[in-house]
Amino acid sequence: MSQDSPKRWIAVVGNPNAGKSTLFNALTGLRQRVGNYPGVTVEKHTGTAFTLHGEAVELIDLPGMYSMAARSPDEEIAVKVLLGESAGLPKPDAVLCVVDASNLERNLFLVTQVMELGLPVLVALNMVDVAEARGIRLHPDQLSEKLGVSFIPTQAHRGKGLVELRAALGQRLLKPGPRQWTMPPPLAVAVGQIASAWRQSEPSELRAEGKALELLAGSDVGPDGARKLATAWRERFRKEAYDWSASVVHARYEYVRKMLGEAGIGSGKLGGTWTDWIDAVVLHPVAGWAVLVGMMLILFMSIFSIAAYPMGWIDGAFTWLGGTIQNALPAGMLRDLLIDGILAGVGGVVIFLPQILILFFFLGLLEDSGYLARAAFLLDRVMHRVGLSGKSFIPLLSSYACAIPGIMATRTVEDPKDRLTTILVAPLMSCSARIPVYTTLLAAAVPVALVPVWGKATAMLGLYVLGTGTAFILAWLFRKKLLGGGSPPLILELPPYRMPSFQTVSLRMWERAILFLRRAGTVILALSIVLWFLSSFPNTSDDPTDKLAGSFAGQMGHGLEPILRPLGFDWRIGIGLVASLAAREVFVSTMSIVYHVGGEEEGLVTAMRSATWPDGALIYTPLTCLALLVFYVYALQCLSTVAVAKRETGGWKWPIFMLLYMTGLAYLAAWLVQGVGRALGFS
Amino acid sequence: METSQNHLGAASLDLTQVSSGDEVRVRHLACSPTTCQRLREMGFCENALVTKIRGGADLVCWVCGTRVALSARLAKQILVEHVDGKS
Repeated sequence: MSQDSPKRWIAVVGNPNAGKSTLFNALTGLRQRVGNYPGVTVEKHTGTAFTLHGEAVELIDLPGMYSMAARSPDEEIAVKVLLGESAGLPKPDAVLCVVDASNLERNLFLVTQVMELGLPVLVALNMVDVAEARGIRLHPDQLSEKLGVSFIPTQAHRGKGLVELRAALGQRLLKPGPRQWTMPPPLAVAVGQIASAWRQSEPSELRAEGKALELLAGSDVGPDGARKLATAWRERFRKEAYDWSASVVHARYEYVRKMLGEAGIGSGKLGGTWTDWIDAVVLHPVAGWAVLVGMMLILFMSIFSIAAYPMGWIDGAFTWLGGTIQNALPAGMLRDLLIDGILAGVGGVVIFLPQILILFFFLGLLEDSGYLARAAFLLDRVMHRVGLSGKSFIPLLSSYACAIPGIMATRTVEDPKDRLTTILVAPLMSCSARIPVYTTLLAAAVPVALVPVWGKATAMLGLYVLGTGTAFILAWLFRKKLLGGGSPPLILELPPYRMPSFQTVSLRMWERAILFLRRAGTVILALSIVLWFLSSFPNTSDDPTDKLAGSFAGQMGHGLEPILRPLGFDWRIGIGLVASLAAREVFVSTMSIVYHVGGEEEGLVTAMRSATWPDGALIYTPLTCLALLVFYVYALQCLSTVAVAKRETGGWKWPIFMLLYMTGLAYLAAWLVQGVGRALGFS
Repeated sequence: METSQNHLGAASLDLTQVSSGDEVRVRHLACSPTTCQRLREMGFCENALVTKIRGGADLVCWVCGTRVALSARLAKQILVEHVDGKS
């Protein structure tokens, strides 16, 4: 192909979990997120790949789909791209179908639909190693011959078959021949008539049959004559109780089965695999729950025990840096800004990086092993009681890392009301940004030395359970009382287990670390400088406490104190709450600045534990810490979540509702904790 | 014209009534059109062979070479018959 030719666009499509993104990454050198559960990719991504002849082609990685009849927002994205209706992207010049070789029957069902789009098609026969391990004998040449498009065996995760795939992409790709599956007689007559009417109006239409089927399915795009005929046939089928769409699926499957049988390709054996043995335990109604709770407990214990070492090193590094600056610079505004503003703010948050990475390490293992879909299965019964299906649990579990990918992952949820409910409650799942707040407040509530690791892990688990339990209760309220309608039934593919990829898990941790540090170096740094200024000026006193009280931030905190006093919060906590409206972890950096403790975690905890009200009573009593913890479990405090909720719900109505209900709930719950606690005699 | 209704007479069981490990043939789907279509696309079309792997509140089945989890209330709407003739 000439260097001056326009770039070719090739769409990468296939069933969920067929390895599309892994293959896309291998061909383009990019790092799109991959995992071992259906629905990892929910957005289209583009990247440049090179053929063996050096020609650059643009690949479009699409969300997985089971058929061309889209039923969820992620599938709609894929179908729109294939039909050339996606804004900002040209219609693809060809399609690269990625099929799971261990599950050809269902994967080729989609291929038969894609072949009717009138575009050249190339098929990557992926995961051939998994298929062969299951005793499936593959015959790519016979498949190519029977379907009339090229089949290239690949193992995307091991980089095998890529040379052959690049070579095939460089050649002129084959346009599939005429439809090979046999349309059932009543439908064939209807489609023939509608397609003929279409061709009379638009003789150049190459896929009139496919368009006729779309018209029958309810599309209203097409020439008048064809549309009228489609309406008449649809009505006739309805009167005759003839389920034409079922007959199409049936006929396609019959064709695929027959073709695979003729090619000598079976569907593999069931039983006796690692997946069966592991499933016997993790899907067991009792043992499965024990495994789930046990894994969560190990996660939280690791967050406290293993993370303690690197946190100590970071703490030491910031203490050393603070001391060095203290010695190197003369007393003055610059030194105050560096130590009390930047080091306190940024260091106060960066110290929690190890805990966040441990969370991502565990989530990465769950995602890449195939366990995540099992957790959704296990929780379907609970989810059904609150009006959702187990499918909503995957976005909710993703929200433990961050509500933003969690809300994005709701695109895999087919029912619009289910999806909206899941979006509304996703921020209640405790995200990684809450870890610094929880850790600091738990340490302030009870002396660290008095609590064993398992005790801290259990307390942390309790906060996660509180958020998750409330999310379920509110999901029930929103789904059944506010939005109405019943919950959809669960249909979920359970992928075979595989050994988690060290590269995939470490890449996810690395990306998260970079994101976290970038945030610390930008948003938190900027907020720390602003907050240092607001808490240092006007300079009304030499006494640090009086100086803060008279500062802009102090005045704002005092203004808020009447509203916060019923919760047991003083004006300094008020400063922290307002400063952390944009991002929760800013609470810790703010308190570090407010209490002038540099970047040391223990310094902050000590300062909080000794902080008092004007009458000398301690502010951070266990009860107040609990009220503050409960406040942070429920409060939205994340502008990025509001922005992504606006994008995913298509307006401001639901994000505003989310902000209001979560803030109201946080206030009410903290007030109740304080009130009930005091009534019971706690302080 | 053969419609799915004709299969009902032969279907005496729903998927929840089948023992784990049994292989059955799908005779009729009695759910909403959208759900039926999704089931068919995932391999649960009429005449497809399905092996029930695990029962209980929710089920796991083996169909078209993959494990698919189904809620029990959906499984109740999948009418099947034993392939070896046992009832």
